[in-house]
Amino acid sequence: MGFEERLRRIRGQAPDPTPATPAADRPALVERLRRVGVGRTADRTTGGIPDEGALANALGAECLAPGVLRLERRLSGGRGHERVLPTGMTAWGDLPWGEAVLAAGLFDAQGPDAGAAGDWLCLDTETSGLAGGTGTWAFLTGVLRADGRQWLLRQYLLTRLDAEPVYLDRIAAELTRPAALLTYNGRAFDAPLLATRFRLANRADPLDGLPHLDLLGPMRRAFARRWPDCRLITAESRLLGFQRSGDLPGAAAPAAWLGWLRRGETAPLAAVLRHNRDDLFSLAGLLPALVGVYRDPAAYGADCRTVAAAWQRRDPTRALRILAANRQDLDASGLHDLARLYRRAGDWVQASGIWEALAARGDANARAALARYCEHHRGDLTRALLLTQSLPPGPERERRQTRLRVKLGRERPAGQLELAIEPYSTGT
Amino acid sequence: MPDSGRLPAAPDQAVSRLQERLTTRYQARISGALVRPATPAAWLDLPPELAPGLAAALIARGVPRLYAHQREAFDLARAGRHLVVATPTASGKTLCYNLPVLDAVLQAGRKALYLFPTKALAQDQVAELTELGRALTAAGGTGIRAYTFDGDTPGDARKAVRTRGDLVLSNPDMLHQAILPHHTKWAQFFEGLAFVVVDELHSYRGVFGSHVANVFRRLRRICRFYGVSPTFIFTSATIANPAELAQRLCGEPVTAITRSGAPQGERSLLLWNPPVINPDLGIRASARSQTTRIARMAVKSGLKTIVFARSRLMVEVITKYLKDVFDKDPRRPPRVLAYRGGYLPSDRRAAEQALRAGRVDLVVSTSALELGVDIGALDVAILNGYPGTIAATWQRLGRAGRRLRPSLGVLVATSDPLDQYLVRHPEFFFDASPEHARIHPDQLLILLEHVRCAAFELPFRDGEQFGAEDLPEMLSYLRDEGVLQRQGDQWFWVADSYPANAVSLRSVAEGNFVVIDTTGGAQTIIAEVDWSSAPGTIYVGAIYMIQSQPYQVERLDWPGRKAFVTRTRADYYTDAIDYTRLKILDRFEGRASGTGAAPGGVVAQGEVHLVRRYPGYKKIRYYSHDNIGYGNIDLPDQELHTTAVWWQAQPAALEALLPDRQQAIEGFLGAAYALHHVAALRSMAELHDLGRAVGDGQGTWFAVTGNDGRGHLRGPDNALVEESAVARFEPTLFLYDNYPGGVGLSAPLYDAAETLVRDARGLVAGCGCSGGCPACVGPVLPGDAQRAITPRAATLRVLGLLEGSCAADAAADHGV
Repeated sequence: MGFEERLRRIRGQAPDPTPATPAADRPALVERLRRVGVGRTADRTTGGIPDEGALANALGAECLAPGVLRLERRLSGGRGHERVLPTGMTAWGDLPWGEAVLAAGLFDAQGPDAGAAGDWLCLDTETSGLAGGTGTWAFLTGVLRADGRQWLLRQYLLTRLDAEPVYLDRIAAELTRPAALLTYNGRAFDAPLLATRFRLANRADPLDGLPHLDLLGPMRRAFARRWPDCRLITAESRLLGFQRSGDLPGAAAPAAWLGWLRRGETAPLAAVLRHNRDDLFSLAGLLPALVGVYRDPAAYGADCRTVAAAWQRRDPTRALRILAANRQDLDASGLHDLARLYRRAGDWVQASGIWEALAARGDANARAALARYCEHHRGDLTRALLLTQSLPPGPERERRQTRLRVKLGRERPAGQLELAIEPYSTGT
Repeated sequence: MPDSGRLPAAPDQAVSRLQERLTTRYQARISGALVRPATPAAWLDLPPELAPGLAAALIARGVPRLYAHQREAFDLARAGRHLVVATPTASGKTLCYNLPVLDAVLQAGRKALYLFPTKALAQDQVAELTELGRALTAAGGTGIRAYTFDGDTPGDARKAVRTRGDLVLSNPDMLHQAILPHHTKWAQFFEGLAFVVVDELHSYRGVFGSHVANVFRRLRRICRFYGVSPTFIFTSATIANPAELAQRLCGEPVTAITRSGAPQGERSLLLWNPPVINPDLGIRASARSQTTRIARMAVKSGLKTIVFARSRLMVEVITKYLKDVFDKDPRRPPRVLAYRGGYLPSDRRAAEQALRAGRVDLVVSTSALELGVDIGALDVAILNGYPGTIAATWQRLGRAGRRLRPSLGVLVATSDPLDQYLVRHPEFFFDASPEHARIHPDQLLILLEHVRCAAFELPFRDGEQFGAEDLPEMLSYLRDEGVLQRQGDQWFWVADSYPANAVSLRSVAEGNFVVIDTTGGAQTIIAEVDWSSAPGTIYVGAIYMIQSQPYQVERLDWPGRKAFVTRTRADYYTDAIDYTRLKILDRFEGRASGTGAAPGGVVAQGEVHLVRRYPGYKKIRYYSHDNIGYGNIDLPDQELHTTAVWWQAQPAALEALLPDRQQAIEGFLGAAYALHHVAALRSMAELHDLGRAVGDGQGTWFAVTGNDGRGHLRGPDNALVEESAVARFEPTLFLYDNYPGGVGLSAPLYDAAETLVRDARGLVAGCGCSGGCPACVGPVLPGDAQRAITPRAATLRVLGLLEGSCAADAAADHGV
């Protein structure tokens, strides 16, 4: 009994009512499978066999090796990107790279001056699926870099599965040091996927150890609470005003590639290449935009508090400036951040002003801060004790109370203390 | 009864005194007694070439030398030989693998993967390894990094496990779904992998074992990619074929170490059958009443005691009864403790500590304490019911017996046929283990799923092997399905999916059902039901039990594989009525049945096609077991193509022995009932892993026990068939593998057919009832015992015929 027949039976279908041909007379299984295969996957024949030459023509790409196409363009911007994109090297080169990198706060490996503009490149891959694991391919890898006043776009497309080693070698050649990567979600997605592909092909991972600036993190920090999501398509539309037309959604990429592999379809692949190009140009445009966001978050509708928090360690002055400029929009935790920055800057007047205002609204943390302030800076031990007494009960309050009583040098009997416990109000 | 609890004797004498009291007072209830004499320890020195620090650490932990089997394991592992250690509980099995593994980690920076069937066991092991690691650092050596990797491992910790772990402790499901499909992330780990340790080997049998054997094929394939070939170290409870099973699992020859060098005190085992309280119906006193009685006597004698029960509910019931005796005073610390799955981990850890410290006199547990959880040793183990396998029985009994001190085990039989059979056959416990753990890694569906997963992990190359089937044919099949593409000499994965997620190691067919609790509006998944058992368990109206909480099935989404249930307080449970029709498709081989002088039939094996119909279900009240109503089941017929073994009686011989066809049918149904139970015992299977049926083999009629309790013949359309209307009356008794395609359960049954028939006949002949009872031939009707030929007698004649012993002898032997 053949494999397929056995499988069919096991899966619970009733046995074939027609008497089976005696095993000896049956054609070999492979032969039967071939016949069945032709009948079953009729779509394979309708589209025809993958024709690499035709695909290269349709895309305007060159064939680097059997199974590897490259599309290379020098452009001043992608469709619709001209308006929003800084043109080439000048604009990108003028970018305060150190600042951008600092703001992203994502990579400490690289000093602020590491990224000379020419070394940075935008990287984006299209994959055969989102499931991850060793069975997922990165069939298209796009690289965009500044080139004089223009942009140089290179897209590598894998058109035959057994050509992956050559394809990967070409990509590795793009990524030679001192390259630095700019991606969108590349740390979690593109980089590990490429690492897997290089490992499977027994090759060293060229991305390993490269400086890598992933814009998704800083984008999320600035906009997670302002936008419904922080996908690239959302970011480019909100920050760059770029609207894609006729875009093939990223989720359709796997089907497009499989359509090529199985049936030789070329049109959907062309759409994937356009999608990849748009992603890359948006990425290039988003970097200066994001630098702007981190300079002046309010102007972009970003979250001032989280942006300031990102600056807090490296550039507290800037963090303070951002928060102070947007004080009227801050919530309690934002105001606390601001007060803390004032305090660190030695501006106790501003800091205590904020705490007073918060304490008036019943904020216990502000009372605790005020109590510390009164005790250590103003020397107003009585007020410090009153403030402390109004704090929520706990060991911290007890310690502080005891210490303050000792300092006040007038341990009062418990009964008298009771009288002193009153709800705090700004008037006292 | 004298209250000896006040002045407990020294435990040594207390154990023998308790045994003496039990045997003299309850002689009639003890159907067998076994004494295993004490064995002294067999010691060998620590290996001289151990990693620096390791010997010192061992000595610091009180291990200045090794038991013989530990040293033997070390030497084999060091030489790169796959091995399995199958020695009794508490014989120091973990050191058998920890020693060679730690040595390789410390000397050569190698790595090891430990696999445990459950998460809890892995966590216990990490605790032990951490202590060893501390001893190592205290002895001036480098430490070891042992991490668990399971579903609970947080995402940010996983990278550290992959890149920094010397030892990774996980389970086969994680290996299958998380490690192998992401092997490149584990590249560093695989490149250093020297050992794969598989604990509790005996639990890898049947469907689960067949899957895991394929997971190991994938593992070895990935290892080849990284240029390593790790040594497998298995440990097992005592089963009949540890080396064979290990070999089937890892695909290479495995050496077995079965002789333990650990010392053991004298061990006694009593087989205890509760007294018959209704001889007509063969009803015995409950096992529970006997268990609590023995436990009371043991604790009052000052002996630390463990009681094993088969269900969580029974644990709670027995605990309550014993607490009523021993923990009446709430001001005193409790002497009785329950331990089972479902408790919070922290509660379980506290209980384990109390046990180790000896603060508790009696613990009542499910199988949760059967595996390697460290609770110290106790004096008496009482098993409330046969645990299902001899191996598990010994594992549980092994909980009693501190080094060189005598211990006592008591197996209390319930009224289940298996219990009744075993309690009358002490030889099962006394001789070498009769249990063969079987797997069938080349089962077509299982194999195909793993070829799929393997193709995802690495492209197949022409000429590669994977399993016993023709690999290129399977790859071609997958190509035609659209998931593979062939280019050059390789087969590449090209689908947008992650195949391991669709394959559960615990079932055969794809598409398990999930049970969703909709009580209170929310939807919570509370269980998963195997595709093949779904129609009989989660039909609309069914009562589905989880941890003895009943749920009622409200809606069944068959194509979506979902059953929606709500909590209920129903005082009944449901039992599906099923009609099974079998048709023989292909007879592989056959022979005359039995070894006697007068063969009365044939036994054969082959492939069968099975149609199961579920017309309705019965509602049965708890305790009284009254049938209180019926419901309809509206489901399509279930079809199953599987393997089976079958027996047929010679029509003429049958007619001579049982001229009444009605009685012949009853005899066959009773024989099927008895054979089903003894076959489950032999094949280490659960009862539901096997199915039974009586029909004529060509699907023209099949026999069922009707609502009136009598056997009837029914045709393919389920209509009644008159026995007399059947032209050629040739009843056939089937035992079939209850999984699609078969998982290899039926072939060993064919090989052991004579033994099975003999065992079945022994089960029925030795039963204490008069006309038949659920402990031998299945439920009988009142009045059957008075019939000239009782169901039991008819069953014995059929079995006698199949056994080939002379029919007249059979009749004379049993006075019918």
